[in-house]
Amino acid sequence: MAALLIALAIALPWAGALAVWVAGDRRPRAQHGLAVFFAAAGGLCGLGLLGVPSSETVIRVPVGGVFGDFTFVPDGLGIFLAAIATVIGSMAVLFSVEYMKGEAQLGRYYAFVLLFIGAMAGLVLTSSLLLLFFFWEITALTSYALISFHNDDPKAVAGGIKALVITQLGGIGLLVGALVAYVNLGSYDIGLFLARSHSLPPQVLTVIAFGFLVAAAAKSAQVPFHTWLPDAMEAPTPVSALIHAATMVNAGVYVLARFSPAFEQVAGWSTAVALVGMVTALLAACMAVVTDDLKRVLAYSTVSQLGYMVFAIGAGSALAGSFHLLSHAVFKALLFLGAGAVIHAIGTRDMRQMGGLGRQMPWVSSMFLVGACALAGIPPMNGFWSKELVLETALGHGAWWGFVALLVGAGLTALYTARMVWSVFFGAPRAHHHAHDAGPAMRIPLVLLAFGTLTTWLLFGPFAHMLAEVLPGVHDESTLAFAVHVMTDPATWLAMGIVAGGLLLWHIRARLAALVGRLSLAAQVAAEGFGFETVNRFVTQAVRSTATALQRTQTGDLSWNAVGIVGALILVLILLAWGGIP
Amino acid sequence: MNLPPVAIAWFGAMILFGVGLYGLLVVRNLIKLVVALQILAKAAMLAFVAAGYAQQQMGLAQSMIALIIVADTVVAVIALALAVQVRRRYGTLDVRQLTALRG
Repeated sequence: MAALLIALAIALPWAGALAVWVAGDRRPRAQHGLAVFFAAAGGLCGLGLLGVPSSETVIRVPVGGVFGDFTFVPDGLGIFLAAIATVIGSMAVLFSVEYMKGEAQLGRYYAFVLLFIGAMAGLVLTSSLLLLFFFWEITALTSYALISFHNDDPKAVAGGIKALVITQLGGIGLLVGALVAYVNLGSYDIGLFLARSHSLPPQVLTVIAFGFLVAAAAKSAQVPFHTWLPDAMEAPTPVSALIHAATMVNAGVYVLARFSPAFEQVAGWSTAVALVGMVTALLAACMAVVTDDLKRVLAYSTVSQLGYMVFAIGAGSALAGSFHLLSHAVFKALLFLGAGAVIHAIGTRDMRQMGGLGRQMPWVSSMFLVGACALAGIPPMNGFWSKELVLETALGHGAWWGFVALLVGAGLTALYTARMVWSVFFGAPRAHHHAHDAGPAMRIPLVLLAFGTLTTWLLFGPFAHMLAEVLPGVHDESTLAFAVHVMTDPATWLAMGIVAGGLLLWHIRARLAALVGRLSLAAQVAAEGFGFETVNRFVTQAVRSTATALQRTQTGDLSWNAVGIVGALILVLILLAWGGIP
Repeated sequence: MNLPPVAIAWFGAMILFGVGLYGLLVVRNLIKLVVALQILAKAAMLAFVAAGYAQQQMGLAQSMIALIIVADTVVAVIALALAVQVRRRYGTLDVRQLTALRG
């Protein structure tokens, strides 16, 4: 049963990608229908997987040779992420029916979205390091293709290339780690690796641990690789909601959570992870305060919240990180889809041209408000509970510096959330727009996600139970006990005070004008991404110029290609005569 | 000079391989290129004969050669069909001018 569901959760979206492509761009109605059907079927399989958790290898495809076995294990951590990917994926596809109506080349769009959903489900369900790397690269490819979907827009093309180059850089870390593990253990199996990691030489484990940290930081947009995510906002908004908020960027957090039991013994690894998460959470929150593009504010807030998750894992609680991941996936998908409805209605992303849209779009604004409350950490939304759990982890594991930094981050989050909601939906209209409220295909995902935002924290009990079987050190706790202990923790009240302070700051902003004026230099530095932008641009530029230089080797001349083939053949013969590769 | 038959076949294969390789690298006409490819395949066949004789496994060598003959014929047929199409579309058979894949 579990084997069938895993196969379907991956294969159904991929079959859908093929079906949409076969249907052809001349039949957009069929394409919309097929995409929604296959995505929803995949979503049902993802939900079904939640019922059959197991730590057995249920699918084993022997590939032979150095590729090892391709294995899949439906354990707690994997199935909950697979459910997020497929369910939020189907909502994003449903939302696209209205958002992408009338766009050209829908086949390309839906094919890549569905390819992504299947690959993401595979990434979290596989227990083979090599297969993990393959799925990891497929998600990077689809992310690139969808960021650059409007390929006549140079900004979209540049954003796509940047995302591809930076995440590939991280992918190298993952590949090196996987190969080092294979050389030392003779297997790609993740379960075997976790069980035998203590028998590996410490320097080998260090290489793997930091290789995976680089991979995770690049994929999850952590400092110093975070600048690709805001530029990825050129993608169509449902794609931003699905790939760049709810699922793909969580792959890094997933890898850290999955391997944290093995890497905790590596000296300095936990501290490095916690530091990366903390710095990212703070810096990104600062950048979100000074940005005027609605989607970029959401992108920075995604980076910041991912920082919270990474910090929680570094501080020693994969449960807190994963639980915040679940909450964030739901409420950030809601916020992005809400923002998509706004952008679709008025045709701009600049918040300076919005304002007062709440009266014209009551549906969207009320749903957006639910998501915003969760982001700011206001009870009883799911974001509140999981953020408190992260903060409590910081305090409980002796990382008081992290606790202070994350408290400041929580205040900043409340501030930029208030600023965003106010500039879009309240106040006086700053430009004349005839905004229409969302249609049914947009409303269904919004309502479902808003419902999820209000309720997913109630699933804490089963969630902790599921993870307790996978990750050592996670203890089972019922939802009620969890709620009681969060509400009686003084840290919670301190955090709520800070959040209220953040909201208050926005309320009295007029009186702070003089202070803000004095901070304009800091604001400018924040708006320019604290200089990391330069580093990331340099990396992208270096890769592009290398590619241009290597372009000359592609002469297209048959004779030269034959020389290449024969040369490689001779090299292989020499190696074989020499006794093979050592 | 009294060479054993295996060595004669082996030298023959080497010479054929050299001729085919040289053709593959320098020939400009697409049809001559197919001929060069055929000569290369013949070199491989002859090498199989020599190897089979040396190892006393002629049956295995013959079955391999039968396989190569079939595959080789298919390659030749498809390559020539492609050459016809190339001539029709580009009006030339000169491989130096067929560089649509240049980076």
